[in-house]
Amino acid sequence: MNWVGFSTLTLREVGRFFSVYRQTVIPGLISSILYILIFGFTLERRISSIDGIPYTLFIIPGLIMMNTLSNATSNSSSSMLQMKLLGQLPDLLQAPLSSFEISLAYIIGGMVRGTVNGILILLVGVVLSDMTITQPFATIGFIMLVSWAFSSIGLILGQMAESWDQLATMQNFFLTPLSFLGGIFYSIKMLPDWAQSVSFFNPIYYMINGLRYTILGVSDSNPSTSFIIAIIMTIGFTVIAIMLMENGKKIKE
Amino acid sequence: MKPAIKIQNLKKNYGETVALKGVNISIKDGEFFGLLGPNGAGKTTTINILTGLVRKDEGVTEIFGKDIVSDYRFTRAQVGISAQEFTQDWFFPLDRLLYFQAGYYGIPKEKAKDQVNELLVRLGLEEKRSSRLRQLSGGMKRRFQIAKALVHDPKILILDEPTAGVDVKLRHELWEYFRELHNAGKTILLTTHYIEEAELLCDKVAIIDKGQVIKEGSPKSLTRQSGKSGINISLSDENIDFESVLSDFTFTNNEGELHFTTKEPEENLPKIINLLTNAGCHIQRVETTKSSLEDVFLSLTGKGINE
Repeated sequence: MNWVGFSTLTLREVGRFFSVYRQTVIPGLISSILYILIFGFTLERRISSIDGIPYTLFIIPGLIMMNTLSNATSNSSSSMLQMKLLGQLPDLLQAPLSSFEISLAYIIGGMVRGTVNGILILLVGVVLSDMTITQPFATIGFIMLVSWAFSSIGLILGQMAESWDQLATMQNFFLTPLSFLGGIFYSIKMLPDWAQSVSFFNPIYYMINGLRYTILGVSDSNPSTSFIIAIIMTIGFTVIAIMLMENGKKIKE
Repeated sequence: MKPAIKIQNLKKNYGETVALKGVNISIKDGEFFGLLGPNGAGKTTTINILTGLVRKDEGVTEIFGKDIVSDYRFTRAQVGISAQEFTQDWFFPLDRLLYFQAGYYGIPKEKAKDQVNELLVRLGLEEKRSSRLRQLSGGMKRRFQIAKALVHDPKILILDEPTAGVDVKLRHELWEYFRELHNAGKTILLTTHYIEEAELLCDKVAIIDKGQVIKEGSPKSLTRQSGKSGINISLSDENIDFESVLSDFTFTNNEGELHFTTKEPEENLPKIINLLTNAGCHIQRVETTKSSLEDVFLSLTGKGINE
């Protein structure tokens, strides 16, 4: 293992998004505050509570998860695509770094960004709505796990994409709708039966409900199921991202 | 001693297109080697295979006797590459980019400091160490590419068109620097469109065309072997039997203007003058014409290097 090389690339990936924090950290924070203020406090007058939880509190785990996974995905995907388009990738591919080390550094970069964003919105939730976290360690652990999984997805997308347009298409047509349909703003029990059944095929539904369980102690899905799906996604997508890097067809030649 | 770079029967196809038909190159440790060829001849593919950017279909590729795939950690650490295309970066200043580059090669920041500072000074980039790449001129970007290639102090330096697009002054400064690096023991593989550059710097050159090496040797021996050097002599007296006097040479006689085709004009000229003066000829004018590596290139590939 080239530890110096691996840690250099990891620090570069983390440093890259911190150096443009106005683009990578602040927007999620602002939009989450707006969601809490506008959606939460105004809709709370109509939907006072779900499963005994005030509506504003109910949406916070969903907002955290939406920000976590979108930031984790976009960090690794945009960094990879940027390196490809700016001609920086050869510097990595010609260095004595393995595909495993390169992939892991990218994934950790995205994982840190997802986690930082998730935790910041968690703190916003605590400040704005007086939220108490049922299981703080499990909450942070789950945010990190999901960040890792979606950062791996981002690395796969970044390797596959050949233009910003393609990348935006993948994110806008899949990730954002799946997040919104995963139950950020509602409990799936409020949906008709057929829509509930469809939700079971949406992995983000399990991520949102898993986090809702660790923070608020309530969840539509079984918490163990959420955890197992998060683990399976993390391992599966990490392996695929590394294999794609090793194969190199999408990034070399 | 194992060659610094050994390439044997290297083959590569891109779908139906044959890029390399079986390239053979051997570069000794410490040699300054030029790889010349027209666009699309296979130079970049060869370099990219050597550095791990492209997978070969077949053949041997070794660096100091180690396979570039199975021993990639060793082989890649030996090589520094100054690519033709400029790298861009939006986020970090020059010195940090160099530290990153050293880091990828396993050198922590503390250990890379001296080398980074030295390179920034030597390549005239010291004042720009905190600038971003987009703030540099073309010549500075080219110098940064070279600094990046040298930051881990590699034994082998691959320079892919290292003076493309730079002004004459910088080109000469870079040539001087490459000589310095070569004298310090570095093995250098150079590709260039400036044949003068190869002629001036390289111990040995290989001419590659249509995916294979068609000629290899020192620039001097290549011009001698394949070049069409000649001697022109004008005489005032035409009534001599030149055929018998100069029976050892190939020449044409056009009303007292003798033209000799020879690969060694310097060696043959005194002999010819001797023979002619002994035969009582009055020589009016002597001229030698010598072909350059460019002529050799043209006669071998049928096109100029910039075509």
